[in-house]
Amino acid sequence: MRQSVNQVRESAVKSKAETTIAETEATTTGAGVRIGVYFLQTGPESSAAMDLRSVAEYAAGLPGVITVRTLTVSSALDPDALALELRQGKLNTIVIAAAHPGFYKPVFSRALVLAGCAGEQVRLASLAERGDAPTTAQAKAVVACAVQGIPFTLAAEPGAGSFDSATLVIGGGVAGIQAALEIAESGHKVYLVERTGTIGGRMAMFDKTFPTLDCAACILTPKMVAVSQNPNIELLVLSEVEEVSGSFGAFKVKVLKHATRVDASACVACGDCAQFCPVTTASEFDVGIATRKGIFIPFPQAVPNTYMINPAYCTWVLSGGKKCGACAKKCSKGAVHLDAQDEVVELSVGNIIVATGYDMLDARRVERYGYGTYPNVLNSLEFERLTNASGPTGGKIVMKTKRLNKKTKTEEWVFEPDGPKPKAVAIVHCVGSRDQNFNAYCSRVCCMYSLKFAHLVREKLPEAKCYEYYIDMRAFGKGYEEFYERIREEGVFLVRGRSASVIERDGQLFIHGEDTIAEHLLTMPVDMVLLAAGLEPSHGSAELAEILHIPRDGDGWFREQDYNSEPNSTGREGIYVAGVCQGPKDIPDTVAQASAAAAEALRSIVGSAAAQNRSQDHAGAPLQANAENAAAPARS
Amino acid sequence: MAVRANPDLIDELQQFGARDAVKCYQCGNCSAACAHSEDPYVFPRKSMHYLQMGLEKPLRSALDPWLCYYCGKCSEQCPRGAEPGETMMGIRRWLTAEYDFTGISRLLYRSWRTELITVLTVALLTGIGFLSFGFLGGGGNLSVYDGPGAFLPAHDIHIFDWTMGIILALLLSINCVRMWQFTMRNEHSAPVSFSLYARYLLLLPLHFFTQKRFRKCENKTPWANHLVLMLSYLTMLILIMVFLKQMQSGPKVNWYVHVFGYASAIGLVGTASFAVWGRLKKDAAYHRHSHESDWMFLGLLLFVAVTGIIQHVLHRAGFPMAANITYVVHLMGVVPMLGLEVPFSKWSHLAYRPLAVYFAQLQQAAQAERALPLGGSAKPQPAA
Repeated sequence: MRQSVNQVRESAVKSKAETTIAETEATTTGAGVRIGVYFLQTGPESSAAMDLRSVAEYAAGLPGVITVRTLTVSSALDPDALALELRQGKLNTIVIAAAHPGFYKPVFSRALVLAGCAGEQVRLASLAERGDAPTTAQAKAVVACAVQGIPFTLAAEPGAGSFDSATLVIGGGVAGIQAALEIAESGHKVYLVERTGTIGGRMAMFDKTFPTLDCAACILTPKMVAVSQNPNIELLVLSEVEEVSGSFGAFKVKVLKHATRVDASACVACGDCAQFCPVTTASEFDVGIATRKGIFIPFPQAVPNTYMINPAYCTWVLSGGKKCGACAKKCSKGAVHLDAQDEVVELSVGNIIVATGYDMLDARRVERYGYGTYPNVLNSLEFERLTNASGPTGGKIVMKTKRLNKKTKTEEWVFEPDGPKPKAVAIVHCVGSRDQNFNAYCSRVCCMYSLKFAHLVREKLPEAKCYEYYIDMRAFGKGYEEFYERIREEGVFLVRGRSASVIERDGQLFIHGEDTIAEHLLTMPVDMVLLAAGLEPSHGSAELAEILHIPRDGDGWFREQDYNSEPNSTGREGIYVAGVCQGPKDIPDTVAQASAAAAEALRSIVGSAAAQNRSQDHAGAPLQANAENAAAPARS
Repeated sequence: MAVRANPDLIDELQQFGARDAVKCYQCGNCSAACAHSEDPYVFPRKSMHYLQMGLEKPLRSALDPWLCYYCGKCSEQCPRGAEPGETMMGIRRWLTAEYDFTGISRLLYRSWRTELITVLTVALLTGIGFLSFGFLGGGGNLSVYDGPGAFLPAHDIHIFDWTMGIILALLLSINCVRMWQFTMRNEHSAPVSFSLYARYLLLLPLHFFTQKRFRKCENKTPWANHLVLMLSYLTMLILIMVFLKQMQSGPKVNWYVHVFGYASAIGLVGTASFAVWGRLKKDAAYHRHSHESDWMFLGLLLFVAVTGIIQHVLHRAGFPMAANITYVVHLMGVVPMLGLEVPFSKWSHLAYRPLAVYFAQLQQAAQAERALPLGGSAKPQPAA
């Protein structure tokens, strides 16, 4: 990987140098920058990888270079002797090319002072810039940069002309939205690729955010609308990244865009189509606790606000176009195109921001809590949807009731707005987290959202008892400890102990655990159990890591380059991570990291433009190449 | 009175096999998962905590470890891999050493080399002793196994058995008294009246012979295996202590005695082999970790059972000299097995376990008599 990046750099730098020479020769005018390149070596002239003689010859041909000298450093350099040379050659700029050139800078600075050229430049060409054994080509690139006064790190980025300022953001949750907006509002192009039918991600499902108890939608919806209205953002929903080639500054991305089968420009989201659709299935957005039609809009505030068809359930698609087609017939705008095909979109981008978020741990795996067996044992996302005003009960916290499904003639447990209210609710922390049998790591958000759940239960059902089974209460953020105090004061029973099991006896749920402070075993009759299931990397993370060639850590999260100083970088240049996909974090941290990732991308976008300007300045400067001097590289 | 903490306790317990207790973060999952754990004997988390904090005195006075039968459910569910089951096992070994007034138990448990050397030395001395006795004080003729003039006359062996039995019972009794002192006579235990001791006395034989508490574990196989092993062992002990003459008579098989002998021999070899197989396979949590003392125990048991069977077969098949030699070899296993294991090591739990059940019942009854609530309300209080 590094090899290919370097090759790009070298060729870019070389071509730049060549054009400069050509231009200089065409406009040889007066004296300006007079450069002396000093190769300092401590060992034999040529190493296996690098031919110093050929680098020196190359340096002699660079614009502005008057002399090239190769010195073998056996003893301390004499500044007086050097000053004499500088005066003779009327040099005012020194390039020191060595493995560790900074070591010799003081003596050359002194020599420049002695030669009467104070205030002029000493430039360093670190031949060990990219490792201990540079190749000839790498050394040439480093020297060329130093001669032109371009910092290697900036110049090394592919030439400004070839740097693509567009950015790909993978994942349309709050992290992806934030990063996309930051970049787009700076005036640069963003492609926002989202796997589901709407942006908003997990946060759009939430009812409230901790610790402020703000309504999640009130924060997120304006951002989602801003995405839809920003001309710099191209939103691709029902889309997945299939292939990425190229490198930093010039990625080529293939995105598989599943057909929504509804023309977004024509659809006005009137809902006539869904009214006549005969298919009813579980709503993905409501994590299965409510239903939707075969042609649907994920939720009323979805962005893009258009209907779409999931082909896995559509009668028309499944019958090969022989049956149904009601939606297309009923659409007054003619927006429904049932025969639309998936397409592959090719994008050219300079940077990629990965913000793929998380999935909930499947609570069925933690068998002893009976999730999936007992209807009123819910996972946290289900409770978020239940207590959300746009959820199936309008935000009422009720128990599931048994109902006969007329179509399938089977009894099923469903939430109904007038269902019975639970008298006691237990919340279990650390379900599948901090547990070596599942995920050994702390999922970081569960303590706080569990406290939020307790608050919501106590607020909406003041007569209901609420028990929290926790191990350690992790209230680490700003205002979190105060939130914890507040919940305690609201009369929540906090049991310090991990519940071992949930059982049902005669239709009554019991939760069993040890109160480790009182050292007693507790068996509590409860009506509803909420499982604070941990976070796991979202499905497809492994495949995406393969596609992007970025590393993951032992738990499956994308690995940052350095935990403290490079939390957004992946180790592959031009690809950044933001949000939970790098590791569990809450909304404030996610948003902060997304902005930081956007800043990283913007740095290279802006930096490449600056580098382009600078190289143009140098190309235009009156430089003189002393061909004779340059042809005699090593005279020492 | 404040309890003095011994920060080295956890290191000491590691030598007894409680290796992973440091990993415990006190979630209480183990206590809630355990079939035996019930108020006021809530374990293993509490014992793990004593260990982590170095609370030596409360740990020494705890009955909890003896109420655990190590089904391994706690270890299976433990989120930290702290092996609470194995920790309880380690604590039981440590308690055995604490109860033992001679200090021999501590030496044997803490170093497998010491244990091995001790067993071999005792075996060697036993061999020399019985050979000398056979040639000098006994029959004197190695080719006579039974009847008058036998190399090792049943009558003399009988006296030896009883002498050894009484000494071992005495040693074990002293250790049991120490257990009683630690667990029943500390500042936290309620005073128990004599009538209560008498009322619940039947619990001792009940739990000794049925081990019915063990049955509460979800997996019944270990209980069944343990019961068969214990009953076989007991049968064999009775046969040897009471019917040694009939056992050693021959060559005709005395079915009234030998049918029990055969049954218990099969039981011993079968259950011990089953245990060895389980410990090698390590598929169950309770077999995952084996302390050196576990292997020594099983090794000696199998050795004694197999040499006993060989001796019997050789005798009935008409090889008296070989039978006599095997007899001596057999005794070389029996003496260290009983002499070391019963008062100082694993065998001692045959006394400690029923005693613990008995003591726990007495404590609860005494508490009930005084009508004192056990450490406060069982319901959690609302915070603030």
